[in-house]
Amino acid sequence: MGLEVVFLGLLVLIVVSALGAVLVRGYITSVVVLSVFSVLTTVSFAFMHAVDVAMAEAAIGAGLMTAIFVTAIDRIRGQR
Amino acid sequence: MKMGHAAAAIIALASSAAVLTLTLVFAVTGGEAPQLAGAMTSGSVAASGSVNVVTTILLDFRSLDTLGEASVIFASVACVGVLFRGSRRIGTEPGLGVLVRRSVGYLSALFLLFPLYIVAHGHLSPGGGFQGGVSLAVLLILLTVAYGSRPMATAVDPSRLHMTESLSALGFLMAGFVGVLQGTSFLANAAAGFPRGVPGSLLSGGLIPVLNAIIGVKVASGLGSIFFDFQSERGE
Repeated sequence: MGLEVVFLGLLVLIVVSALGAVLVRGYITSVVVLSVFSVLTTVSFAFMHAVDVAMAEAAIGAGLMTAIFVTAIDRIRGQR
Repeated sequence: MKMGHAAAAIIALASSAAVLTLTLVFAVTGGEAPQLAGAMTSGSVAASGSVNVVTTILLDFRSLDTLGEASVIFASVACVGVLFRGSRRIGTEPGLGVLVRRSVGYLSALFLLFPLYIVAHGHLSPGGGFQGGVSLAVLLILLTVAYGSRPMATAVDPSRLHMTESLSALGFLMAGFVGVLQGTSFLANAAAGFPRGVPGSLLSGGLIPVLNAIIGVKVASGLGSIFFDFQSERGE
């Protein structure tokens, strides 16, 4: 029972961080909140015993996507 | 809030509510799928010799779908390459201080072992070519951020990465055509005569470790070259 409450709290945090990524001011902050969302999603996948998916989500969402987004934002700023 | 934003928010909320309801309905009532799922999970070790059921489904039962996923990555890498064509492939990232550079240098040896382990043990433990390849691409990004773009470009030629990606995509297709030459289906594993080995040992699973290695190289070089393309500058 206790574990299910923790999982439910995790799901609520995922929704909150997804809303935060949309609502927060500033591109870089938004990308960082998005990577927090990815990490929380990774934990939820691990909770559901889908370790393969969790590893892919951790590497893509938290690692690669953040780097590519930050580089893209950097390029857009440089052109102005 | 503007009118368009409100309309978009209503559409997004309505569609996600519909998807959630449909998922719940299917989860409660169930469908025909469990029979197929049971057959796939119970027969996977006998069919391929790989202990990891997920990898067996991805690279044996449904390897044609994996080829489709790999071609999605191939298409996106090619599109990014077209968008940044004519630009110098070397970015102007200056790199970080000596403390960060040294510690990243020491860490990178461990960081390199992780993707190699993930790819080599893809048929034994969670993970596989995709996860390991992405980790390797992240290592490339970490080294670029720490050491700067110019030393990285001399160590890893960014235009070589595109070629490596295309060659490994070709390698995946060639591995698939072995099955056709043996008279069975495309991307066949045990049916094409690949040895199953002892389930649980490092050399088992027939074609699966080979495909894992090919996908690892392909994903690492493809995603790495996307990053290098984003870093590059318009040529003058």
